[in-house]
Amino acid sequence: MADVIWCKKVVGGKPCNTVNYLDPYCFWNWEGKTNCAECGTVYYIYMIQGHMYRGPDEKPGEKPDMSPLYADKPLEGYTYYLPGVKGRTRPYECLPRHIYLGRADMVKFSIRGKPVRGWRPQPPSGGLAGQFPYKWDIKKLSPEVWAEYQEKRKKGEVKEW
Amino acid sequence: MAKDPRETRIEDLPGPKSPGELEEMKMPYEEYCRKAFDPGNEWAKPEALKGIRWLSCTMYIFTPHSAANLAELGADVIKIEIPRMGDAMRHTSPFNEAYLYPLHDTRPMTGTGFGFLNANSNERFLSMDYHIPEMVDVFYRLVKMSDGLTELYRPGTLDRWKMSYRYLQEMNPRFIYVWGGGFGYGPKVFGGSYDILGQAHAGLASITGMHEYMGGHPLKHSNWCIDWASGTMITHGILAAIHWRRKTGLGTMIEFSQVQTPTRISGYTFPLYGRFGIVRQRWGNWDTQLCVHGIILCGKSDFPDAQNPQDKFDARYVMVSAFNDPDFKELCDITGLKDFYGRYKAHKDRVDARPQVEIYTALEKWAADKTRTQVVKTLTDAGILAAPVMNDREVYECKHYRERGTLRWLDDPLYGDVLVASGHSVGMMTKTPRRTNWIWRPVGADNVGIYRDLLGIPLSKIEEWYNKAWI
Amino acid sequence: MANEKREVEIKSRADTLPLTSPEVRPWPVTPPPPPEEVTKVYEKRKAGEFGKWCEDNLRFEKGFGKAEALQGFKVLDIGLWRMGHKFASSLLGEAGAEVICIEPPGGDPLRKLTPFGREEYMLTDKETGEKCGLDFISEMINKYSITLNIETEEGQELFKELARHADVIVDGHLPGYMDSLGIGYRQISRFNPKAVYCWVGVRGSWGSYKDRVSKHGQWELDPFSQCTNAFVHNTGFPQDQLPRGKGGDPTRSGLWINDYVAGEQAAVNIQAALYWRDQFSGEGQFIEMTGAESYFDILDFDIAWYGFNASIKGRTGAWDPNLNQYEWNPCRDGYMMIGGQSDRLWYRIGMCIERDYPQFGRLIHEDPFLKEVGARNALHALIKTYTLTTRWLREINRIEAEQKLLDYEIAAGPILYTDEVAEFPHFKYRPWIYTTESDYGTILYGTNPNAFQVKTPHRLKWMGRALGKDNYLIYQRYSGLGPTKVDEFKEKGVI
Repeated sequence: MADVIWCKKVVGGKPCNTVNYLDPYCFWNWEGKTNCAECGTVYYIYMIQGHMYRGPDEKPGEKPDMSPLYADKPLEGYTYYLPGVKGRTRPYECLPRHIYLGRADMVKFSIRGKPVRGWRPQPPSGGLAGQFPYKWDIKKLSPEVWAEYQEKRKKGEVKEW
Repeated sequence: MAKDPRETRIEDLPGPKSPGELEEMKMPYEEYCRKAFDPGNEWAKPEALKGIRWLSCTMYIFTPHSAANLAELGADVIKIEIPRMGDAMRHTSPFNEAYLYPLHDTRPMTGTGFGFLNANSNERFLSMDYHIPEMVDVFYRLVKMSDGLTELYRPGTLDRWKMSYRYLQEMNPRFIYVWGGGFGYGPKVFGGSYDILGQAHAGLASITGMHEYMGGHPLKHSNWCIDWASGTMITHGILAAIHWRRKTGLGTMIEFSQVQTPTRISGYTFPLYGRFGIVRQRWGNWDTQLCVHGIILCGKSDFPDAQNPQDKFDARYVMVSAFNDPDFKELCDITGLKDFYGRYKAHKDRVDARPQVEIYTALEKWAADKTRTQVVKTLTDAGILAAPVMNDREVYECKHYRERGTLRWLDDPLYGDVLVASGHSVGMMTKTPRRTNWIWRPVGADNVGIYRDLLGIPLSKIEEWYNKAWI
Repeated sequence: MANEKREVEIKSRADTLPLTSPEVRPWPVTPPPPPEEVTKVYEKRKAGEFGKWCEDNLRFEKGFGKAEALQGFKVLDIGLWRMGHKFASSLLGEAGAEVICIEPPGGDPLRKLTPFGREEYMLTDKETGEKCGLDFISEMINKYSITLNIETEEGQELFKELARHADVIVDGHLPGYMDSLGIGYRQISRFNPKAVYCWVGVRGSWGSYKDRVSKHGQWELDPFSQCTNAFVHNTGFPQDQLPRGKGGDPTRSGLWINDYVAGEQAAVNIQAALYWRDQFSGEGQFIEMTGAESYFDILDFDIAWYGFNASIKGRTGAWDPNLNQYEWNPCRDGYMMIGGQSDRLWYRIGMCIERDYPQFGRLIHEDPFLKEVGARNALHALIKTYTLTTRWLREINRIEAEQKLLDYEIAAGPILYTDEVAEFPHFKYRPWIYTTESDYGTILYGTNPNAFQVKTPHRLKWMGRALGKDNYLIYQRYSGLGPTKVDEFKEKGVI
């Protein structure tokens, strides 16, 4: 096994069965200790050109040098740990925002506070054979967003740039 | 000249001919530019490619961009997509986070991802499944009414459907036909291709990124640069063909392979290999031909307390350029690297590999206790060229681009408030400027506008086709 | 010749140089596949007839016998240091326009640049003995070379005479420099209102952050544009994949790519302006192109994403954040690129890999999160997919991986180095790499992708030009100056 550590450590009477993914650029040539995201077992590994040259060897009581970024549990419906779960996976720093969603962000207003059609579902607004007009009739189609927009305008939250 | 040589006419004299012209000639250069380009008032001026109609049977970025360039310059571009699914690029979004809704009316939960942006601006969107025999005739009707087409199918596919150049030129000899793909005729003719294949396969990746010595790997350009750049090369080919057609009345076919583009724009890389057998390697953030002309890491971030990780961790890089002798001397004086100037007085000496490593290492050491702003300020105050490596937020907030109108908010007719960096940014033109009217439209959003209003097909027929998913 | 045995003594690097010249080491090392082999490829997919039609009508070698699209258009190219204006005029020249490159009597400093300052990598003009750098030669395509000192009054008059004949003037000088000499667009349009005048620069000839020069007169060059339009910030390996300072930093392109992009878009805008002139108005116009801004247009959605929800794009190394799979990862002997995002291709990639590595199929295809095409672009989905893909790749080398994936009709290809590109069978067959016999000897170059056309293919006719080689021809023809007069001007430092 290499590049992933399929943790078989028996915890509480049953095997941990968590797959820890050792991402390629980071671990391609790497020596050190990493941990299982689920049970916290620390493993020593020595990887050369993606091959596990030594390990994984359990190192009870020692601290990991670097955690995996992601891990999941195939036998439990692929529940997973995202990057940056404290004590389990290492944080991913190079993100576009301080939060990470990994799914569609529902956006109703652009950063300057004007309406943008970035949320779902959208009410039907086309015509025959999928023809759309050259206008988003927001007042009619999404009156609640229009009302919210008027509120924002009053509060001065809508900017020009 | 006036008939009577004793008569003086203002037209014959050099210089301005009217008070208005005089005013213009006297204006400081920058003010003149601002007035001549007049950003924001593009719509008061004519469109360069008025009257050109182009069919875009395309997907992804590469071939669409060849047509979007035409649309930004004023051509009427009709984008033809597969019914319901549309262009595969509509389903791409950075980390799955940014979409505009809907894809079309029948899928209110599916959006079009930001990956689709900029590649299809100003176009009209038609859906058509043209390998249904009944639709081929409709396609031919469009061909007879258009100036040309860009397509990206596997070589031979449209030929099987009798929709390739050799068939279409018979019905429209003026037709300009572009096939865009990965490889074209030859042993790998059926090889599929993407931007990233162009970057990998044609040598661009092998010369981009940090050197192995610096711990690096071959690096992908952040954007789909080969798709985009190849699309533009096609537009260049199309426009040249249009010029030739003005003279001869004849179209042409262009077979364009995107994987080839990087080899054309790689400067000395291939000549160097051909003559000296030297395989160019990566040289990271430095320049192989100029020194000092590179990007250095500063010790401190400009915004250590920012919430956004990009601001917090990465506002630390500075572009420094001092390759001419006096500039290099100045740089050495300021950064306390005086002995470097002594050692590497001539550019020829300091641009060699080892001196480059020494110089940039020393510069980074000098910058280790400074922020990006401090470094830029110190160098700029000394009259040396330096610039911060800016992120998207800083570009957005940069006054320069805003006042030039190359970055602007668009009130998109269907999607609302969108920041656009396309169209207006691709050069300013005093008389026929480019423009962005809308970013994109849903799949088939102009079906009636084209099937009925252009081709005269009855609405009942259009509805029938739509229900059968032919369109 | 390859089998010939020679006595060679190598004492220094200099001794090796003659051993690498094209005469001794011809390109290609192995011949391209013969046409019969390629015919078989067409026929395998029942495209034999179409394939033959393509070969008959599109072949590169036939291009030299065909018409030139821009025949009759005259282009002046004036500027220093940068690639943008040079690339624009090269493209117009390859499409058939007549291009005259104007340099100061001392020559463009770019002629002196050479990788790592090594003079031995410069080429020597056979007639004049002048040395020239390869980067300059590579964009000195189909261009006449003349010299002119536009800082003298007589030089300015000569420039105006040339400008009278020009359809296009491409200006790669500092902002407002030509205007300050009385030969910018404002002045030229007075006597040649049909001229299309295009300035190509870094960030702008006007505005609060326009192109600067240093105190000592040094110019801003690419990658300044790459740094100030967020390209560099967004390119590179993240510090999460490689340590900062050891590869995990924002990184520039290996090329002056913003220059090239500005150049090609300049060629597009220039041609559009010519179309409008010839078709409608009879008027030329003024165009301004910048590397930083032309690149905005093609920087994907990056800047718009900030306007959407304040996301600031970060680096993702060799992985694309928008598609899965769409990346390269290390393999046994290098790096392997794999692409295929739609369900059809995604599962085909999976089938290919699980044949060797069954666990891949299980962990990827069973996972409910990875079933939806958009969801697969999430960061954690990339980490999982690429970790397992690399687990497969580590066992095989590039050529094996390519063959396996091509069997499943996946767009895949290894990262090739320059020598491998030059010898890649398809590239040699087309050819995308080709040689030209120049004044500097045989040069290997990348052919123009627009060279494959039925009627008007673009083409390279010559590459490189000694400084001022065409002074007598051009000044005779466009200014009526005989050789004696040209020599006089030369002595005065005007030409």
